[in-house]
Amino acid sequence: MSTLLEIRENLRDFYTKFEIYLTPLFKFLLALLTFVLLNSSLGYMTRLNNIIIMLILALMCSFLPVNFILLIDALMAVLHFYAVSLETAIVGGAVFLLLFLLYFRFSPKEAIAVALLPVFFGLKIPYLIPLALGLVGSITSVVSAACGVVVYYLLIYVKENAAAISAMEGSENALARFRFLIDGMINNKTMYVLIMAFAATVVVVYLLRRLPVDYCWTIAIVIGSVVCIVAILMGDLSFETNISIMATVIGTLVSALLCKVLEFFVFNVDYSRTEYVQFEDDEYYYYVRAVPKNSVGKSKKTVKKITSVL
Amino acid sequence: MLNQERIKLMTRMAAYEEDQGRKNMSIGSYFRLDYIGMQIIGSIVYGTIAFALVFAMYMYYGMEQFMQDIYKMDLMKFIEGVIYKYLIFLACSVVITYIVYAYRYSKAKKSLKKYFYSLKQLSAMYDLESRQ
Repeated sequence: MSTLLEIRENLRDFYTKFEIYLTPLFKFLLALLTFVLLNSSLGYMTRLNNIIIMLILALMCSFLPVNFILLIDALMAVLHFYAVSLETAIVGGAVFLLLFLLYFRFSPKEAIAVALLPVFFGLKIPYLIPLALGLVGSITSVVSAACGVVVYYLLIYVKENAAAISAMEGSENALARFRFLIDGMINNKTMYVLIMAFAATVVVVYLLRRLPVDYCWTIAIVIGSVVCIVAILMGDLSFETNISIMATVIGTLVSALLCKVLEFFVFNVDYSRTEYVQFEDDEYYYYVRAVPKNSVGKSKKTVKKITSVL
Repeated sequence: MLNQERIKLMTRMAAYEEDQGRKNMSIGSYFRLDYIGMQIIGSIVYGTIAFALVFAMYMYYGMEQFMQDIYKMDLMKFIEGVIYKYLIFLACSVVITYIVYAYRYSKAKKSLKKYFYSLKQLSAMYDLESRQ
């Protein structure tokens, strides 16, 4: 454990020392990852599938606020949709615009979760996002998770039905294309099941990790994971969505393990040294429970100079 | 000689100014009602655009049916219904905006109070040093 804590301290020191370079580097990598995934999964506008363009955009994002990654992702997605059909671009653009108008104005800090959720869907561990949002976010993170699911299913629906949409050629089919897209989005039961499951997970994790009990983060992660699996299972049984329960269980377990890693970096405390103190001032009595953070002193390197006289 | 306590305090204050301080100071420069009122106006504008967008999509989606029924339906009643829904939507949007921004304002004010207390402490430290 002490070795791990030492590694954590070293990582923290390293990040603090090179923060000025590392933050843009992480933004660059995140932007590049989302652009590459977006272009490889949609890729209808061939002009955008150019690594030079992606590198330039990612470089631009590395110096801009992190939410620009989401903005560029949304613009790229709309351009790919436009290559499928004008109606797809209109529906996609309207969804992104509604997300911006109704939600991101209130909570711009969590907008990046929306960009990350499709990435984690690709890695088969989307359950990490609601668990992590419940741990480090607030109760309003429910909406961020829901927005992420909507965006993912919009992308997936267009990807799966691009050929069918393109087949409806001609301006006389414009209304049919539009209705096909809207119907597909509105009648997507899997999307609703995941929105409900993720919302329940965020709320449960958020409420449990704030409880004044020992190991509240671990309890929150475990119970949150169980709630996520049970909610998806119940949704699947009720709406017959054909979600793979085995993949859900494995994905949730991996997500829970990753959340433990997050806990190690964000909330690492030593419950065995908890202290309870009680004192008073003119207005209040205070019953304080102080839980010390786990930390280790860094091992000092001593340089021994050995000189020999020949 | 360097005053370590003062340096610690100044570093903490500089970090605050750099991080949340700038945002909180801009919030704190408004009176409560002015700040919340401004956000509500913004929310009405954004809400109107969002409603118009959804309504336009809804109309386009049901255009065929609407064109068939246009001579049969009571157009005034339809417009009344749309306005009614728009007002309910705006009311919800305004209430949420009020709750969110009233909370943010009080949080920013509390945080600024702590910052100004640190400023006072800093000023006291300088006074003490100049007297010595």
